[in-house]
Amino acid sequence: MARLTVVVSQGQSANPKKRALEEEIVTSLLFEKGIEVTVVPNLYDLKPDGTGMLCLKGISGNFVIASWLYPRAAHWVLDRNGVKGQFGKTLLRHEDEDDEEFGEGPPSLAEESASEDVIGPRDVPSRHIYCLDLRAYETAGPYVDEIKRIANESTVQTVDLMGFLGGNQASAEQTARFLDPAPGNVHSTANGSEKNEISGGNGHEPFDLDLVGGAQTDDSGGESADATTLHNEPLRIDEETGRRWYPVIDFSRCTNCMECLDFCLFGVYGVDRFETILVEQPDNCRKGCPACSRVCPENAIIFPQHKTPAIAGSPEVGGAAAFKIDLSKLFGAPEGLDAAVQERDAELVAAGRDAVGMSVGIPKRQQDKPDGPKDKLDNLMDQLDDLDL
Amino acid sequence: MSANELVFMMGKFEARFPTDRLYAKNHMWAQPDTDQPETYRFGFSAYAVRLLQDIYFLDWIRDAGEALQERQQVGGIESSKAESDLYAPFTGTLTEFNPALLSDPSAINIDMYGAGWLFKMAGTGTSLLNPQQYLEHLQDAWKVAERTLKGQFND
Repeated sequence: MARLTVVVSQGQSANPKKRALEEEIVTSLLFEKGIEVTVVPNLYDLKPDGTGMLCLKGISGNFVIASWLYPRAAHWVLDRNGVKGQFGKTLLRHEDEDDEEFGEGPPSLAEESASEDVIGPRDVPSRHIYCLDLRAYETAGPYVDEIKRIANESTVQTVDLMGFLGGNQASAEQTARFLDPAPGNVHSTANGSEKNEISGGNGHEPFDLDLVGGAQTDDSGGESADATTLHNEPLRIDEETGRRWYPVIDFSRCTNCMECLDFCLFGVYGVDRFETILVEQPDNCRKGCPACSRVCPENAIIFPQHKTPAIAGSPEVGGAAAFKIDLSKLFGAPEGLDAAVQERDAELVAAGRDAVGMSVGIPKRQQDKPDGPKDKLDNLMDQLDDLDL
Repeated sequence: MSANELVFMMGKFEARFPTDRLYAKNHMWAQPDTDQPETYRFGFSAYAVRLLQDIYFLDWIRDAGEALQERQQVGGIESSKAESDLYAPFTGTLTEFNPALLSDPSAINIDMYGAGWLFKMAGTGTSLLNPQQYLEHLQDAWKVAERTLKGQFND
């Protein structure tokens, strides 16, 4: 039967609560048929050529990744590392999220073509990557339920793709399944195999979608199906990861305007052979500095570990996605373009270079911005500014 | 209130500030280091700790020896109630982080004015406030803090 890989990306800190949730999810999934669990260190910190990333690259077909990052952030970190796929729609949402919003993350390619300026990601295969945010719930239950739902959905899709796109003649049974993929309908009577009985509602032919470290599919018959589908140890990738800090571009938002390229003076950005913006030298980025993200007109630049939800890749810009109160402003944080310039100057000086202030790479759009009437937020900001922290 | 401390009411909570030291506007206390001249030891004031509550994660993004501008980010903190970036209290050079906090930041809650100190910085310290001036600064800061807290809760 088709397998679904579930990757658990560990939190950066050794916060016992976080570890406990990760392990609870791993344990709950270990005896689920058709699900293989892999544990990697924090996705964002994985080196491009390290074991963890190689393992992720080795996954073919759909997979689920649960991380302490916003789904958008996780998706585009993977994309940048060549682990590409469609944004899998998950029914998980944060406990405090509005009911109207369905799913998370960027719109599908079809929806997003509405905005002509957006360049969109390239070479995206049809498989789906489901990113789950471990900050949404405190218990494993909702994650495990959602993963089972995805596993079910994935298995059905896999049969469809393999049977028809693979170029093989579809059997009458496959056709019947395609037309009505309800679990009850897949129970085979044509070959009377025990396999289908053992694997229950997901009983399809054993397609090998196998993954790095996954167990071999047993083709010898139905008698040992349990042994092939139950794993009681997850694959654990122990990669020495130092903390990394670099921007990630959301290509469902990016319009290739190059303002980030102009603004960053540390050579993080470049263009590829299609003249498309690219995070060329991620490790040139200055730790803690999110300045380019503040100048991006489309909010397409994500710093997954930044405290501000809008910069860390929350689904809605300025939405109610803050899980904790951010007190940075009260502890002296500067704001907006001033913040970006100050952050950049600080990094320039730290690197032994001269501060440039507003003189280099400041987006022109700021100059044309009309002065609208002040709203409540503006007034609060003014008060904070007056405080002279 | 004892003779060697000042009290500021954060709602019903009494935040206490020892008068044997100076304060920075970003809610850190500063005490001249006994060993090195022109070097201050910094820690969170009771006001900051009350806003944060139980601290369980502290991260520094700078290294000892680095020169910092006032309000340049030095790290971040996560607590049971909030998270915040942390900024340099004045312009100077970072000389040392409290090594004891790296594995367990709970000393900040237990002993914020002693063992829970954060870091040391070398600098002139002319921008620091005396306890009375800090209390005056809190009068305004608290009003905005209240509104910020309410605003974020109601979002």
